Amino acid sequence: MATDRQITRIAPAGSCIPSALLVYAGLVFSAVMLALPFFWMALTSLKSSAAVAAYPPSWWPSEFTWSNYRDAWNAAPFGRYYINSVVTGAAATSLQIIFALLMAYAFAVIRFPGKGAILLAVISTMMIPDEMKLVPNYILLSRLHWVDTYWALIIPPAAHAFPVFVLYQYFRTVPPDLLDAAHVDGAGHLRILIQIIAPMARPVLAATALVAFLGRWNDFLWPLIVTNRTVMRTLPIGLNYLKENEGRWNILMAAAIYVIIPMIGLYVAAQRQFVEGITRGALKG
Amino acid sequence: MGRRTKQSWKRNRAEWLTFLAFVSPNLVLFALFTYWPIVYSAYLSFMDWNLLTARGAFVELANYRVVFTDPQIRTVIGNTLIYACAVVCVAQALAFALALLLNRNVRGQVFFRTLAFAPHVTTTAAAALVWVLLLDPDLGPSSVLYNALGIHGPHFLASSKLALWAIVSIGVWKEVGFASIFFLAGLQTLPRDCYEAAELETDSGWKVFRHLTLPLMSPVVFFLSVSGFIAAIKAFDVVSVMTQGGPVYPASSTYVYHLYRLAFQEFRAGDASAFAVVFFVITVAITGLQFRLARKWVHYGD
Repeated sequence: MATDRQITRIAPAGSCIPSALLVYAGLVFSAVMLALPFFWMALTSLKSSAAVAAYPPSWWPSEFTWSNYRDAWNAAPFGRYYINSVVTGAAATSLQIIFALLMAYAFAVIRFPGKGAILLAVISTMMIPDEMKLVPNYILLSRLHWVDTYWALIIPPAAHAFPVFVLYQYFRTVPPDLLDAAHVDGAGHLRILIQIIAPMARPVLAATALVAFLGRWNDFLWPLIVTNRTVMRTLPIGLNYLKENEGRWNILMAAAIYVIIPMIGLYVAAQRQFVEGITRGALKG
Repeated sequence: MGRRTKQSWKRNRAEWLTFLAFVSPNLVLFALFTYWPIVYSAYLSFMDWNLLTARGAFVELANYRVVFTDPQIRTVIGNTLIYACAVVCVAQALAFALALLLNRNVRGQVFFRTLAFAPHVTTTAAAALVWVLLLDPDLGPSSVLYNALGIHGPHFLASSKLALWAIVSIGVWKEVGFASIFFLAGLQTLPRDCYEAAELETDSGWKVFRHLTLPLMSPVVFFLSVSGFIAAIKAFDVVSVMTQGGPVYPASSTYVYHLYRLAFQEFRAGDASAFAVVFFVITVAITGLQFRLARKWVHYGD
């Protein structure tokens, strides 16, 4: 009875051994389930073709076939895909952050009649599903002759309400005295933004930028529609097309590792900012 | 007096111009790529046009009729609802349980947290690919289980009944860890004194959970359910990589995949726009309801 209570009780309390064991068993099982896809991806990418086809499948490669990575690199122009993903992701992220900085500062600091209504119009774009905009935006881009160019991958995603919202929330907490003092010193808004506010907001900026870059890197539907030529594809699209002509699972899994490894690396390196960026504002929302 | 008004107007004008300069990059982009598409989608939804030829004719509500009397549509909408409800319910329940375990001052929290978010940051297209392999009854790890049971496992992706559940499994995998971190954050803010008081009242951990933890956590549950639902009805990547709506279309197709197919494979821009407009109305309605119901159902404390 006493053990029973310990297991189900919610508030943290001194636990006795059986319940602690159950808790760890539950956690280990969950961890295994969460990690299994990553493990299987890495495992398969290192198996020889014979080992991939073996039944039942082995849980450790009998020999590490590193050449799969070379073969995957040659099976599709991954070097080019990397350049496309990095360049368009970095460009779109930078623009998103710069435009959001300007807009959030204007909303938080500068007086303007009807500011509230404009803010509302901007924030409400977060409710509008991207999927709704596919057809009109595709038509617009083809009129601009932007289909199959970097512009298509950079410009439409360059404006996003989420970083505006996050930065606006942050800027409102900046003490007005600080701004007044800067004003008295004769600093203009742009100088105040660049020299005082933006440096203060650096942690928020980092978190927001990471989330923006993550979104660009993993984006699938939009680049699928606006890229036709192989040389314009981003990594997820390249992987998707490789899947259609590549029957060897070890090569495909090596290619999948190419797609996810930079983002996983970035995530592990900057985990705190990632988690903060993703969760920020969400629970208050 | 006149001079002062003039001066302040001058100063105001400078402020206003700065404001406009600061907001215009985003506003121009929003106008072009967000506001205009809404108007244009609505317009296109009344037109008969196949993207390839010159502009078609005005056809009133014909596109809406075509799209929503299409026999495939029932399956597509049904699939989308099943997918979204299954992912939300299963992922939330598992995530809550996981958060309760994590909340017990266990070791390795940092490691677990890292792992919990990893599926969320992983490119869905790549994750979907490995899940094809994971679910394969011959090549995947589940074959061990099937072997032990002495059965031959099902080919999820070759079965019209099971293909959707293969998609659900990735959805759950991507969502569980993410939601558990939110639940954990919520659990860690719960007032300790409430629990001390509750322990004097009752011996039953279940009662404490049911009458204390769950009501206190309801804002988090509510928030995650609605945002998870909205995200789930937009599922596209997994469907596209894993099944393309197959094995026999539309056995595992979802709303957005169907929209993509209408627009970019069948080039029915008018029909696709009607479909998109309805999607827009649905998602905006859910978001609106979210705010309404939050006030009514959710216990926010005092």
